[in-house]
Amino acid sequence: MPSSHHSNSTLKSDWIIKFFLVIGLLVTGLFIVLPLIHAIQLSFYHLESFVSEPQWIGLKNYAKALHDPVFWRDLLNGVIYAGFSIFFQVVLGIGIAVVLSKSFKGKQVVRGISILPYLLPTAIVSLTFLWMMDGSLGIITLGFAKIGIYNVPWFETPFTAMATVIFISVWLWTPFVTTCFLAGLQSVPQELYDAAKVDGLSAWGTFWKVTIPVLRPILTVIVLLRGIWMFNKFDVIWLMTMGGPLGATEHLPVLAYKKTFSMFDVGGGAAVATLSLMILTAVIFIYFKLFPFEEK
Amino acid sequence: MSSTDKEKGGITRRKFVKVAGAAGAAGALSLVGPGIPFIHGRAKVTLRFLNSEPDADSIRVLKVACAEYERKTGVKVALDTIPAGQVYSKLTASINAGRPYDISTLIFIGDTLLLAREGQLVPVTSLTKKHEWGPKILFPFDNEVWWYPFDYNLCTMFYREDLYQEKGLKAPDTWDSLVENCKALMLDENKDGMYERYGIALPIGTGGPASYMTFAFMWAEGVELFDDKWNIILDSPTMGPKVIRYLDFFAELYKTMPAGMTQIGFGPPLNLFASGRISHTVYTGRLVTNLEKFAPKLTDKYKMIPYPDSKGVNKAVSFGYDAWVVVNTKYSEESMKFMEWFTDNHYINFLHTVPLGFQPPRMDVYEDIRWRAHPMLEKYWWVMEQMWDYLKNPNLIIASIDTQGPAVDIRPGKVFNSFALPEMLQNKVLKGMPSEECLKIAAAKMRKALA
Repeated sequence: MPSSHHSNSTLKSDWIIKFFLVIGLLVTGLFIVLPLIHAIQLSFYHLESFVSEPQWIGLKNYAKALHDPVFWRDLLNGVIYAGFSIFFQVVLGIGIAVVLSKSFKGKQVVRGISILPYLLPTAIVSLTFLWMMDGSLGIITLGFAKIGIYNVPWFETPFTAMATVIFISVWLWTPFVTTCFLAGLQSVPQELYDAAKVDGLSAWGTFWKVTIPVLRPILTVIVLLRGIWMFNKFDVIWLMTMGGPLGATEHLPVLAYKKTFSMFDVGGGAAVATLSLMILTAVIFIYFKLFPFEEK
Repeated sequence: MSSTDKEKGGITRRKFVKVAGAAGAAGALSLVGPGIPFIHGRAKVTLRFLNSEPDADSIRVLKVACAEYERKTGVKVALDTIPAGQVYSKLTASINAGRPYDISTLIFIGDTLLLAREGQLVPVTSLTKKHEWGPKILFPFDNEVWWYPFDYNLCTMFYREDLYQEKGLKAPDTWDSLVENCKALMLDENKDGMYERYGIALPIGTGGPASYMTFAFMWAEGVELFDDKWNIILDSPTMGPKVIRYLDFFAELYKTMPAGMTQIGFGPPLNLFASGRISHTVYTGRLVTNLEKFAPKLTDKYKMIPYPDSKGVNKAVSFGYDAWVVVNTKYSEESMKFMEWFTDNHYINFLHTVPLGFQPPRMDVYEDIRWRAHPMLEKYWWVMEQMWDYLKNPNLIIASIDTQGPAVDIRPGKVFNSFALPEMLQNKVLKGMPSEECLKIAAAKMRKALA
């Protein structure tokens, strides 16, 4: 009977959904929630290594971190690094997506190439840039010398070091933003552009009044995701500057790592990581209030 | 799926879920099941060896030795290799996870102390007492030796003798003469500010290379970081003026270096020297092996000297030992047997894998004709002989940040990892701060690291 068949099929499909939900919850619990709880737990202890006898010290690790100017400097560094990286990734990502959405010869090839940086392993990119920006032999350094700009201090001043890691992060992750916006652009109804044309809007006006409003939901998600990823981004900074020079590119993930694995302060590192999580959670909460996701 | 399919034994969703569930449960059990031996269960006894020497030849020798040991005793030794910088984290993680390595390489005595204090290591005194050892290498505590060193990693200076002869220069004996020589050997053929050759390259970045390679000038000057009570004395009336002198000297020397010294690691000073871009460098004996391989034209064009002090009185070299530890596991006894066999039979084979790079800490090795028979050691015996002399010369200072202080302790390790000293240099040469201010900031940072 059709109704019985439909009911059986719904039951089975519910069962499968539940099954995968349980798997998802198990994986999340095992690999995210439990380590998180363990990390938070560690932050209340003094221990020099993972094999040391932990000593309960309550909130002392938090008090120490919050009274440490290095913590606040690293928080600011993280905000600068994440903020500028996201800004340039989004601006360039939208720009490139708009260009790639137009029809031109070799479009598919260019689209394919544009995603390449995102496919490269971060370690390879970081080390390659390190060599290309080498102060003595780097191809970029020598290229600048050819046009009369000598000895560019790529990593030697706080400003240039931060600018360099931001530049590399933008180079590396803009393609992700481009791809998302490119997908979004496909969903902009042609009628809207036709209407804009009838209303006499310029290309710039069409972009602001048609394209951007349609892309807004994607923009909200992209900024959120990139914000979380960039704030927690460890590899590029660690591989390129290890937080230097003079702490200019050190942010909270690097500080947490250094405390835990170099400074024999596992509890202190866990406290910094927990504080970082709390700050990020608060920012996301505010972000959701300001830019609620549209439910459709 | 039709009933016919079912009868034929086709896969239904229910079956799939059952199989997947069973596989998942088995997988989970294999992860969490206490006492279910995974590796140890495959042979009667399997020892796990965490190696951090990445050279292909070193790994080959270790693997061959492990295989030979298994053939002789039936005890399997499984080798894992990871970068040296991660070895301590990996070892502690393995202990914490309840599946510790039985033998491991360690590169910091502070890490060894910490593990020994927690009862995680067994002493290797019975093995080390068989031989005479060089200075500052065994670091015994609690009347026991806890590691078996295989490399001194003495870091010394090299200069281009052919260029010195061309310019009629003498080997630098003081800081001033080093600066003058470095300046004299800089080459700007096109007069465009892009030098074809610089004086020297010394890392100043926030990391291990600077800590290891750049401060031996300061040790030669007699600088010490701690007093007998573990107080930081870098800015004391005795040490402060020496450090200030060093900073002023370094600022001058920095002018002869190529750009990018904050970024360079262990490799670039070697590459820059091999490619003729610098006339001086600092490195271990591994430089000799690399020149032989990659810059054979330079093999007879350099000389080696220790780091000088400001007045030409004292000399120093820095060092960065490597050693094996035996972890306190249920197989400690077997591990000790393996270590005894390995160090008796394969120690020299292992040292031969980086012939001038692994500088033997065991003094008997220098006179062992088996070790000296390696072609590279025969060819460059003058290099090794000089490095051997470093160990025998009581007036030569052998020092490093992480071995400072009156006893073995993790405090120098904390100071090392605070990178207060590299940052002191950065403040001087990148920010142009007065030396007194740089010193004050560095001392404060060290104290904070210990607080």
